[in-house]
Amino acid sequence: MEGFFFLGILFTLLVLIISVGIGLWSRGLTRTVGDYFVTGRRIGAVNNGLALFGLAISMTTFIGLSALIIEGLYLAIASYTAFTAAFIGMLILAAPYLRRHKSYTSMAFIGDRYYSRNLRIFSVVIMLVVCFLYLGANIKGIGIVFEYLLGFPELIGIILGGIIVTLYVVLGGMYGVTFTQAFQGVLVIFCLIIPVSIVLRELGADAWAFPPLGYGELVPFMKEEVPEYFWPMVVHPGFYLSLFLGTFFGIIGLPHFVMRYFTVRDAKEARWSTLLCVLLVGLVNTTVYATGFAAVYSIQLAGGEERLAGASRLFLETDLDHMVFILTEILAGEGWLAVAIAGAMAAALSTVAGLLIIMGAGLVHDLYGSINPHVDDQQKMKISFWVMLGAGILVTLLSIRPPEFILEAIMWAFGIASASLGVPIVLGIWWKRTTREGAAAGMIVGFALTFISWLLVEMFNVAPTELPLPFIASYLYGPMGWLKLMAFAVPLSFIVTVVVSWFTSEPPEGVKRTVDEMHGWPDYEESRYKGWGLPVTIVVLSLAIIYFMTTFYGVFSRIG
Amino acid sequence: MKDYKTEVWVTAVCFALVALLGGFLSLFFVLGQDFFFVETDADFRETGHHILYLAREYVMGFPIHYFLLIMFSWIGVAIIGLIWTLVMDRLEDKQRF
Repeated sequence: MEGFFFLGILFTLLVLIISVGIGLWSRGLTRTVGDYFVTGRRIGAVNNGLALFGLAISMTTFIGLSALIIEGLYLAIASYTAFTAAFIGMLILAAPYLRRHKSYTSMAFIGDRYYSRNLRIFSVVIMLVVCFLYLGANIKGIGIVFEYLLGFPELIGIILGGIIVTLYVVLGGMYGVTFTQAFQGVLVIFCLIIPVSIVLRELGADAWAFPPLGYGELVPFMKEEVPEYFWPMVVHPGFYLSLFLGTFFGIIGLPHFVMRYFTVRDAKEARWSTLLCVLLVGLVNTTVYATGFAAVYSIQLAGGEERLAGASRLFLETDLDHMVFILTEILAGEGWLAVAIAGAMAAALSTVAGLLIIMGAGLVHDLYGSINPHVDDQQKMKISFWVMLGAGILVTLLSIRPPEFILEAIMWAFGIASASLGVPIVLGIWWKRTTREGAAAGMIVGFALTFISWLLVEMFNVAPTELPLPFIASYLYGPMGWLKLMAFAVPLSFIVTVVVSWFTSEPPEGVKRTVDEMHGWPDYEESRYKGWGLPVTIVVLSLAIIYFMTTFYGVFSRIG
Repeated sequence: MKDYKTEVWVTAVCFALVALLGGFLSLFFVLGQDFFFVETDADFRETGHHILYLAREYVMGFPIHYFLLIMFSWIGVAIIGLIWTLVMDRLEDKQRF
């Protein structure tokens, strides 16, 4: 698309204006620092479910996943199915328990549970790393949208998008973020499903009205042209274990997801909001699998299909992250393209907002609050305003050099979060015997393994198989081979946490009582959540996973 | 103690099922590829692929493993989550705050 796209600009402006308007309106609801960060814990299940859904569906869903499906085929889809299911993993292992803890952030939870100011500060550092990764990818997406709409360089879009989302987050706090996420989530459903339905109809699918299952008729052509589209066996099966560990524990470790649970009224609302979220996330993600399928299908079809003839050059030469827009424009028309672009913008804004608020909360409530614990709430409110403004500006500037593939940056964020934050959170909830020293050791091992690997692979272009990781690196070959690191990092983090906890003094009784309270018990019993069954099971399974990752290569040859 | 054990065991079973059905289901498609796929080199000359894996069964036009992947990771795990939620709601109402 060249030049101004008036309809797209109009629809996108509407989304932006409504979002800022909600942020302004929310200022009236914000009185205390508790309101600013966690809405005073007044959000109900439906609002929180919609907000969690809006938070989950980011720019990566709209454009990053389709691009990754074109490159990675089945592997990309498998990675997102694991992400979809991970919400239920978070529901079962963490959501209601964290809500009962009454923290504002997961960093505060780690600080309290492990009776350590240092661990709280370390958690803030980890949070900043994963948030910058996640944010950079999404703000790049905003830049792509503005480039498509206005024909301007991505840089202008990055700056504009960053400023606008910073504005309504800073003004409205968590109330503004919650209600805009809910609005944007509902919008995304319509802005994605309807254009994709039309694309599928134009490609000849009979069941186009329900995109998640609407492209079965097109499969025979794909089997002929790209049979490997449906092949899971292009990687060692341990790859899928890596996806599971990275997504299931990563979603618990990602502070912006967990922070949503601190806003709901009680544990019951936390549970039901997650169920609502996963139903909607699944609906959208299965629609995106259809979009990715349509993109690959169209690339194959382009040579022989009149409508797509002119597009074949476009498909081959364009940035893959633009494919969704190109496909929608060619097959569904400019009107629906405008709708899709507005939906993509809404998706990006909702996620960026959630990330900004957790960064602000982490910097003010956790970092500054740890260094200066006597600061009063009014002072915190004032500082929060300026810190979030500064964070928004800084992230916008850092996003000017965005990642090549949006979704890869997100997957790294999941991986780092899983091994360094997900593990101590889960063990902190389910095993009373997890000590400060154990958590610290596990967090350091998990963070070092994943963060240093990210630096070397993404910043210094080191091949995953050449990482300085004795024993592990040689197994990180193949398509998205670096992902397999998670099948080593997460188990190692678990093993180290459990073993070090074994050899160090038990937590104080007050901390152990907190565990019973998180599980909703009105009384305290020493023996609850303290048995050997869980840690032994975790260590055995972790060792089994590591062993599995390093064996069976006679059976599953090194492909790729 | 009975409610405590209910909570722990229901959580463990539900999490294991969600992990299997939604987390790493594709691992079983690889391990059991002979069950899900038929190998053929009949099209080798046309497509150039060394081994062609074709799905044995289809559901609604999709290879069965693909259908199971996208449905289990959405509806399947949501049902398990619903069961877990109902059990926890009942435990909570029964004896807690």
